[in-house]
Formats: sequence, C-alpha cells, structure tokens
Amino acid sequence: MTKKPTLDAKIPEGAIDEKWTKHKFNMKLVNPANKRKHDVIVVGSGLAGASAAASLGELGYNVKCFCIQDSPRRAHSVAAQGGINAAKNYQNDGDSVHRLFYDTVKGGDFRSREANVHRLAEVSNSIIDQCVAQGVPFAREYGGTLSNRSFGGAQVSRTFYARGQTGQQLLLGAYGSLMRQVDEGTVEMFPRREMLDLVVVDGKARGIIVRNLVSGELEEYAADAVLLCTGGYSTVFYLSTNAVNCNPTAAWRCYKKGAHFANPCFTQIHPTCIPRFGETQSKLTLMSESLRNDGRVWVPKRKGDDRKPIDIPEAERDYYLETKYPAFGNLVPRDIASRNAEDVCKQGRGVGPTGYAVYLDFAEAINRLGKDVIASRYGNLFAMYHEITGDDPYETPMMIYPAPHYTMGGLWVDYNLMTTIEGLFALGEANFSDHGANRLGASALMQGLADGYFVIPYTLGNYLATEKPAPVNTNAPEFTEARKQVSQNIKDLMNIKGKTTADEIHRQLGDIMIDKVGMSRSEAGLKEALEKIPEIRKKFYEDLCIPGDASDYNKELEKAARVADFLELGELMARDALERKESCGGHFRVESQDEEGEAKRDDENFCHGAVWKYNGEGKEPERLIEELHYEHVLPSNRSYK
Amino acid sequence: MTLLKEPQISSVCKKLLTGITGLSLVLFLVAHLIGNLTLFAGPDVFNAYAQFLHHFMHGMFIRIAEIGLMGFFALHIWSALSVQRSKKRARPTGYEVNSYAGGPSKKTFHSMYMAVSGILILVFVIIHLINFKYADHEIVGTMTMENGIEVTNVYKLVVNTFQGNFGLVLLYMAAMGALCSHLMHGIWSAIQSLGLTRPATIPYLNLVGMAIAIALAVGFFLLPLLIFMMRGTFDPNAVPDYSSHARLLLAPWMLG
Amino acid sequence: MKVNLKIWRQAGPDAPGKLVDYTVENVDPSQSFLEMLDSLNEQLVKKGEVPVAFESDCREGICGNCGLVINGIAHGEKGGCTTCEIRMRQYKEGDTITVEPFRAKAFPLIKDLVVNRSAFDRIMSKGGYVAVNAGSAQDANSQLIHRDLAEEAMDAAACIGCGACVAACPNASASLFVGAKISQFTWLPQGQIERSTRAKKMVTQMDSEGFGDCSNHAECEAVCPKEISIANISRMRREFTKSLFARN
Repeated sequence: MTKKPTLDAKIPEGAIDEKWTKHKFNMKLVNPANKRKHDVIVVGSGLAGASAAASLGELGYNVKCFCIQDSPRRAHSVAAQGGINAAKNYQNDGDSVHRLFYDTVKGGDFRSREANVHRLAEVSNSIIDQCVAQGVPFAREYGGTLSNRSFGGAQVSRTFYARGQTGQQLLLGAYGSLMRQVDEGTVEMFPRREMLDLVVVDGKARGIIVRNLVSGELEEYAADAVLLCTGGYSTVFYLSTNAVNCNPTAAWRCYKKGAHFANPCFTQIHPTCIPRFGETQSKLTLMSESLRNDGRVWVPKRKGDDRKPIDIPEAERDYYLETKYPAFGNLVPRDIASRNAEDVCKQGRGVGPTGYAVYLDFAEAINRLGKDVIASRYGNLFAMYHEITGDDPYETPMMIYPAPHYTMGGLWVDYNLMTTIEGLFALGEANFSDHGANRLGASALMQGLADGYFVIPYTLGNYLATEKPAPVNTNAPEFTEARKQVSQNIKDLMNIKGKTTADEIHRQLGDIMIDKVGMSRSEAGLKEALEKIPEIRKKFYEDLCIPGDASDYNKELEKAARVADFLELGELMARDALERKESCGGHFRVESQDEEGEAKRDDENFCHGAVWKYNGEGKEPERLIEELHYEHVLPSNRSYK
Repeated sequence: MTLLKEPQISSVCKKLLTGITGLSLVLFLVAHLIGNLTLFAGPDVFNAYAQFLHHFMHGMFIRIAEIGLMGFFALHIWSALSVQRSKKRARPTGYEVNSYAGGPSKKTFHSMYMAVSGILILVFVIIHLINFKYADHEIVGTMTMENGIEVTNVYKLVVNTFQGNFGLVLLYMAAMGALCSHLMHGIWSAIQSLGLTRPATIPYLNLVGMAIAIALAVGFFLLPLLIFMMRGTFDPNAVPDYSSHARLLLAPWMLG
Repeated sequence: MKVNLKIWRQAGPDAPGKLVDYTVENVDPSQSFLEMLDSLNEQLVKKGEVPVAFESDCREGICGNCGLVINGIAHGEKGGCTTCEIRMRQYKEGDTITVEPFRAKAFPLIKDLVVNRSAFDRIMSKGGYVAVNAGSAQDANSQLIHRDLAEEAMDAAACIGCGACVAACPNASASLFVGAKISQFTWLPQGQIERSTRAKKMVTQMDSEGFGDCSNHAECEAVCPKEISIANISRMRREFTKSLFARN
C-alpha cells in the first residue's frame, strides 16, 4: 500500500505530561467582554453536549443548544449504568494519571492518539470533583468518602458510580448546569430539533439547518462555531443497546460537507445482552458484565440439541470459554467473549428460539454460594431478565448474546477536537480520538465530560481568538442553498410513495451489518456487504413508504432520513473494515489471527487511524491516514490464555 | 366576591392552610365527642358540662370558640375549594378510562370524593345547629343540681330529639358516614400537607388517620343510636341520681 | 395472540380527538408494549395510513421519554416500571387495552399520544442544580457525606422526569417531581447554600406552569417507575415553609 501523507493532529510539543498544560498556556484567550459576542452552536445534549453548552455559557458565550428529544435530560448518556473512571487513587492501590493513560492506550489496542488519551487521564480527576460539587449522589463508604469499584478488567479500583444509574446522574448534573445557564440567558435551548445539514461559509462551519420535529419546518441558525456532540452510530446495526432514536445523521451530513470520518469500522460489541426473541424486536437490553463473575457460559456439544438446558448432562455441555482460555475463563475481554459466542452459534450450537444465544449458567454458583448470595449480587439483574424473558435465572440458565454497544470511530478531530472543517468541533462519542480500537468500561462517560467541561472551553476560545470569524447571518447564500438541498431531500423521500417501511429497510441493513461487519469480519463477507448494501439502498429509494405530511410531527420521515444515512455509513464501515487487513480491538479480521485463533495486530502496516474523505455522490471516498506514534506505551500483544 | 377570587398564595401554603384548619377541626371533634360521651354518665353530669361550656369565662369562651370554629371552617372550605378549582384547571380534558393504581397509592373512593363528603358535612352541621344550638331551650326547662344551681336541661333536649325520630337518627348516621369518609383521607392528608411525614411513618399515619376517622364517626353515632334504641335507659325526665359514681365526673367549677 | 386496542388519536393540539379501535394480531408475549405498537404502526404505514404518534427512546426504562396511560393508569397496571418495560405476556388473548396520552394543561398535547413536557425543564432551570461553574470544584473527597444521606439523596435523584406523576395525579400536580429534586439537594451538603431559594423558586415556577395542587392521593408514588416516595412531597413542603422565614 502506498503511504499517504498523514493528517496533522496538531499535537503540542513537549513531554507527554506537559503537553496539555503548556498548550493551555499557549492558546489564545477571548476577552471576557467579547465572549458574549460569539455565538456557538452545540448539537446534542448528552454528557458531552450538555457539559460543553453549560461550560461555554458559564464563560459568557452565547450558546444555542439543540437536541432531538423533548428535553436535554433524555439524551442517551442516561442509559450508561456502570460508572466513570478517574485516576484519583483514593483506594491507594497504585493508580495514577499515567496508569489510567497506560490502561486506556493498551485497552484501545494501540490505535488511539497518545496525547489525547493522556489529556483525558489528566482531566479525569477534575470531572469527579466537578460532578460531586454538582450534587451527583455517588456511592459512598461508611466513613463518608467516595466509593470505587473495579471495572472492565482494570487492576485498580478507579470507577465511581451511582447505583446502576451513573450515566443518568452525571447527565442530570450537566443538565442542571445547562438549565441554570438557560435561566441566566446565556444558553438558548432548542429541543425537538434534528440537525440535517451543516452550513459552511468560506471553508468554515458557520451554521446548521435543523428540522423542527413538531412543526416539520426547517430552521436555520448561524454561529461562529459548531460543536457536534451527537453520539455514536451503533444503531446502524438496527438492533443495539442504544436508544432507538440514536443516529449518526448530524455527523454524517458533516462528513458529506468535508469533515473526515475516522475508523468507522471500530465498533464495540457487548457480550452480555438479552438475545433477540424475534422479528419485531426494537432493541437489545444490556446486562452488566459483572454477571460473568459467577455465571458459566456454555452451549450443547451437539448441533441442534434442543433439549431443555437442565436435561443436558454435564458431559454433553461445552464450557467453551473455560476450555479455550483456562487462565481467564468466563472473564475474557468483551471482544473475545463476543466473538466466541458468535462462533458457536454459527456452528449451529446456539440455543434459544433463534439459535443465536448461549447459556450463562448460575447453577454452580448458586450451589456453591447459596441463592441468597447470588440474589444480593445480581438480584436486580435477575429480576430484569425474568421480567423481559419470562424465564427465572435462579431456575434455568440465562441466555445471552452479544450486541453492538459503542462506536469508537467517529469524526476525525485534531488535538483541539476540531474536525477537518474549521470551526466544526466533535465531542464525546461523536469523535474518534480517545478509545482507539476498543473502549474500556466506564471510559465513555469520562470522555464525554472531559471534552465538554475541560477541553472545549479552552480550545474553542483559542479558535475564536485566532480565527476571529467574520460576522455571518442566515441570509448568506450558503444558508439558502443548504436549506434548499435539505428541503429537496425531504421532498424526494416523501415522494417515493412505495410499500416498504423505513424500519424494514433498516432491519435488512442491520442483518447484513451484524453478520458481515459485526464481531468477526472476512474479506469475502465484507465484499458481500459492499455488494448488498447498495441493493438495499436502491430498494430504499424505489420503494420507501412515508405516510403523512412533511410539515407535521412525522416519526416515519425522521426514521427514513436517518436510514438514508445509515445506508451510506454502513457501506463506509464495510469499506473501512475491508481496508484494515489486521485484527485490533473490536475489529477482528478472520484473515488476521494467530494459530490459536487470537487477534493479530499488524503494527507494521496499520498503526494509523484510517480517515475517510468524502469525494462526492457516487464517488469512492478516499482513505487518508493519521500515523500513530507510541512513545510512552509500547505496543504489546495481549494474551488471555 | 373576594372569597371566590383566584388565590394568590402558593400551592404549598394552600395545603398548609387546609391541613392546619382541618386538623384543628378534628381536635374540636375529639373534644366534642368527649363532651358528648358525658351523656352516658347521666343527666346531671351532661347538663353540668353544658352549663360549664356556656358560662366558662362569663360565656366568652364559647363565643371565641364559635367564632374560631366558624373561621376555620370558612378557611378550610375556601382553601379546599381553591384546590378543587386548580384540579379542573390543571386537567381540562379528562381521561376516558379512570382507574386506581393500587400499591402505595392512597387514592380511594374517600380521597376522590372529599368535596362531596365535605358538602354533606356542611349541610349536616347546619341541621345539627338547628337541632340543638338554635332549638327552643325553654321547652325542656331546667334541672336543679345538688348544690342548688338551676341549669338548662339539655339532656332532655337531646333525648327528646332522638327518641321517636327514626328519620333523624338515619340522617345522623348518614352524616357520620360522610364525616368518616372525609376523615379517612383527611387526617393523614393533613399531616402530609403539613410536611410532618417520613417515608417510614407514612403507612402508619395513614392507618392511624383511618382509625381516628372510624372512632370519631362511631363515637358520635353511638349517642343517637343508643338513645333511640334503649328508651328505658335514656329517660327525658330522668332526675339526677346523686348517689351515682358517675357524679365523680362532676367538677365543682363546672357549675360556675 | 391477538389484542384489541383503543388508542387516542388526535391530529394536532387543536384538532378534535377520539379513541380509535385497532386490532393487532400475532402479538408475541415476549414483545414489549411499545414493540406491539410498532407492529401496529408498521401495519398502518403499509396501508398508507398515518401511524400512531408516541414517544420512546432508550426502551429500557431510564430516559423517561415514553409515557402512556394504559387502561387508566400511567405506565400501565404493572407499576414500578416505564411503559417501555411492559411486556405483552401480562395481557391475555383478546384483551382490550385503552391507550391515552398523559393529560395535563401543563403538558399540552402535540399529536396522538405525544405531549410537551418542557414545563419540567423550566422548573429545573429555577433551581434543580447546585450553582457551581466548571473548574471551581474542590477535591471530591474533601467533603465527607454520610453514606445514608448519599443513599437518601440517590433515592430522590432516581427520578427520570417522565411525568407519570403528573399524569396519574387526579389533580395533575407536579409535586412529586419537584419534591424529589428539592429533596436530593436537601440531603447533600452541596445543596445547602441555595437550599431555601431553590425551594422557593422551584415551587413558584411549578405553580405558574399550571399544574394542579397536591391532594395527597399518592397515586404518583404508585405509578412512579423509580418508586419515589411521597415523603419527598412532605419534605418539599417543609423546605418551602422554612424558606418563607429564611433570610435569602
């Protein structure tokens, strides 16, 4: 492969632990009196969006914040259960900023940017301070200090949590701060608005076109900078643990306006989700990974064995994780657990009505520890499982199956979180920088808040002070043009008047994505996906059906507009996965494994971020790269045998 | 009318007002019931109690109490009406299906029809006042107490009113039913309105409230019922039995 | 299995509305209630009819987006869960289920089963926070908080802002929502500085939004997906009353 010039991530000079401090000093500042003269648009109101909008409002900027929900508090960050990491070392167990940095780079399988990750680890402590000051009711010890737990295989206890609602509580903290700014008049909130296009004037992001989801009207807003905090794109798989309205539309429209998209194939599949029951399922429910501490994963040894689990004798069960990975057993990392589950199901040994599930059996743990101990550890999860499936896990083994959960890929950003379009920033899951090829548990919340509270307030100021954006308003021809285009797109969709619903198309796409671009990916499979997705897209544009009116509350139109983007993004994901001929983190290419079936990274050829540049309708996108350099955490291979 | 004008006070204050006035009226009922029960001790004790009420503090006490009660009643009605009005305003379009969620809910027939039971109680109070307060007290004459003081024979008034008047007994029964229903929700609700509950005490306070409601209603109704049913025991022309132990209830100061 | 539905249809805020009968066949008992409605909508869309508008997002009971009144009870008869957590196995073949929107003047209807709950946001903007700017916080462990207090605060903070309390209240009162938020900060040392202004401002905003007064029916607690206690309403009243005598 010919090497292309690498993108400049604008990483500051200096030692890794001094970069951010020095950079903060070197960045230009906006005079306090001038801040209110700058309009800033924040799209999305999750942890990244709400914290950014609130912090910028506190600084005095004139902020407009948009979200698709009826209230900013409902962004999908609420659903995060586990916790948030920070390098506080309150447990005296050897944690440090450097260790969090090290773990995150290693966990990302050496595909993240060292400087960004180090900054993330540095500000992690301030996040906890900030959230506690906001009144987030974190769990505490009897002595009144904050409680920690270990998470995601980390060797230190650095995860802070608020029952099973950490995401909800952190978001309420950020949302409270946001609403305070709304009351003070620095932030104006625009709920029920979906961003449908970015307006670029003179090469700089200067505004957005949104659809008012109640009236159906298109609205235009101008600003000096646009912050995209719109989350990830796991819903491209149709069934995922994400909320049903999560979508990549805003990010995708920015991609088409010139913001490059990095590592779209880096997706994380969570191993312990409740399997699908059938066609009409709308989402998959995540259960805490902690279940694997006491549950044993198995499938019948014989194909098509449809006996009840309790009727299958020990000798005819295959505890495949324990056999294959004696050292870690059922506690192997997420991607390994997921991939092996898919393997046994594809061998025809899966269980449950669809054949795509494996058992997670607590019988042995209940025998050993007693029902009460198990109930105290997993009572809530068991109750939830019982409620959803109708099966009682105390009596019969649980069934689990992996589900798409998080996307490490996203818009490419430099060290300042700015995309390749000047003035367009991407924060949180919407960007790509910090998690590499695999995200560690309890790190998503940390990254969203780090970007919003502690990074963007500095880097945005620097941009505004340096670039001094010229005044712009929505009368500019670029706004009219963008609006016309969006309006035309909507009309085109409404006018197809076919027979297929957006959900049906989405499901078809999802089936291909999970099968070919899911847990394990092969060249043949990816090529097949690249052939099939355009066929689905063709069907979409020929046979889509949207009843009702575009100038009204119209969920079908919303869905269809998103599916149009899913179809394009899915293709880019497959393309990216095809080009990355190595296995790393959540990306497993069957061609790249060692003799024991373990993922084999190819640092020689792929130690870079793949950055995709849109080249226009019908043209192949261009694959640029950002070379990654590891000076502080040297690439090593992981082994869980 | 000013009374019907929009209340400009906070919803919390409104509930405080309903709660304080409501609980005060309940306290009055308790005192009233204790007074009523002296009837079972005989005509002299009951009459002496009545005499005391009317002449204590040269009659000032009863007047202040009456004005106070009237005021509390009025405030209670006003604040409750205001809450009712907010209810209509806050949900102009109702549900097609209404139901009760059960579980920790305290929504019951009683809580839903507080206004109805309240109006019934108001009507009853008027009838009750006509029956006794504004009745012709001359007709029943007086009774001479042991120390020679002549007191109005309200004992005779009460016994005469209920004996032979089955309709009135029924009316009192219905009224006590309404009172019971009102207080089944009212007592606990007043405590909650005053912010005096804790998570652990809520179920108990609710039960205690209901128990008091039932006790008051039964207690009040016992009197007309027994007078009606046990003619032999309650004689309108009874003369004091100065040897009775019940006279121990008679305090000398009661007779003024 | 087959279920009969009576669903409130209303094209817009000012359009007339009525219950419309539908039948959904082939309902899988494992389906969630909302997936059953998805199936209905897919049928309608395929017939070219306008589907039933309803809201949902996370579909796991945490975002607070969904909210329907099912057979007269907000979030359905099961209790302790959101609408999206209801499974169809709790219904029987041939059941008739009535589905209505949350009804309150402060939650104006948008379309069919969708209402506008931004009144909650406006209440929150008056004090549902600790006023602390990013960057000005002290070390998280410098202020110790009794574990029990943290737990009490968490109980109150569990509110997801779905609005079922308002929908279920015979008076359409928002007291449980406001009470829970005020309580959360009352338990925590961080909330003390603004304690009385918070109570005063949030209650005042609640009143001005047109919610009804609370009559202590406690129906709110019974339908609350997070089972938040009405003791929080009690606490709100104490805090508000105290605030009337406070200096700030």
